[in-house]
Amino acid sequence: MKGPTLSAGNDSDLLLVERTLAGDARAFELLVIKYQRRIQRLIARMVRDVDLVEDIAQETFIRAYRALHQFRGEAQFYTWLYRIAVNTAKKFLLELKRDPLVTESALKNEDDEDETSRSGSEPMEEETPESLLAAREIVAVVNAALQALPDDLRQAVTLREIEGLTYEEIALVMDCPIGTVRSRIFRAREAISAKVKPLLENQSGKRW
Amino acid sequence: MMTQQVSTPDELVSALTDGELSGEAFVTSVQWLEESEEARASWHAYHLVGDVLRSGEMAATGAHDAAFVARLRSRLQGEVQFVHTEHAIDLEVSDARHERVGGINRHDVANDASFRWKLVAGFASVAAVAVVGWQLVAGVNAPSGAPQLAQVELRPAEIQAQVMIRDPQLDQLLAAHQQSGGISALQMPAGFLRNATYDRPAR
Repeated sequence: MKGPTLSAGNDSDLLLVERTLAGDARAFELLVIKYQRRIQRLIARMVRDVDLVEDIAQETFIRAYRALHQFRGEAQFYTWLYRIAVNTAKKFLLELKRDPLVTESALKNEDDEDETSRSGSEPMEEETPESLLAAREIVAVVNAALQALPDDLRQAVTLREIEGLTYEEIALVMDCPIGTVRSRIFRAREAISAKVKPLLENQSGKRW
Repeated sequence: MMTQQVSTPDELVSALTDGELSGEAFVTSVQWLEESEEARASWHAYHLVGDVLRSGEMAATGAHDAAFVARLRSRLQGEVQFVHTEHAIDLEVSDARHERVGGINRHDVANDASFRWKLVAGFASVAAVAVVGWQLVAGVNAPSGAPQLAQVELRPAEIQAQVMIRDPQLDQLLAAHQQSGGISALQMPAGFLRNATYDRPAR
């Protein structure tokens, strides 16, 4: 029996966009789940108010959905989404400046679009102690689960997630078949996720 | 691209997370994600784990991601939905990109490679050529308007009507104060100046 095809190319975003345009709204949700954290972090660089960050992120994805037929796959999907997020945030900031009731504390330097310009330890203004604690707990659980992995699994998932290598490149580095790479990464993820999922369900009470 | 055996749907989801799926495997994994809440939880957890491994800062929203998506889902229901086509499964969606519900909001653009637009462009070209040709033919056969105005002959009654009524006393006065130049400054007939300069025939 012929198995599923694996491709080394990272064009699954484009395929998800095409599915969305073909009427499959769930495919767009998969893109949202994938990129929402990066988009919110990007917006948090420009806006201090954590509630505004989420509102702007929501608006970003709404705008992206409306303009999805314009995405031709010439750039990475995230690059395209990034520009929409920055423009949406700037528009919000412009409207905020016109509103005399808005305090300065809601605004940051709007020209600051660099994702790396804010240190990871600097909290957003309205982050609660509970949310900070929850975030730290997730980080601690993920790192502990990674350290607890067998060497071959830890190496495979590290090469993939941190070094950004493709399955083919990891297979060369680890001197094993691509199928083995895929299996190791999957098992590593499952082991870490098994520790994280209960934590997420307890914190949010929401399910997918 | 290569062919591999993948044993479980979750393993497919993991490979999809890395952008390592295409074709039938891609479709199978996406369908699995759409049908299974557990699969979506895995999709989220896999991406969250990757994000947190790259930057601990990414854990900040992790607990609220499901609520974020639920809120967005309800907002998107108010948006115009893309038409669901059978091609979704085959990924042959390029023609369906611009279609909306019921075809109401289909975005036709002038440079669409459709026969209808080509037909419109053809008719427009023929019409333009016909108009220009007709104007050229009409222009050759008909005299232009400006010479017609110049060639109008005045009838005697009209000539008489235009005879200037002169005042003899004024003529004497002007003759007594005749200018030495004798020719109007414009060197050309100018009725409105004639009374003032009183030109005499040159000697």
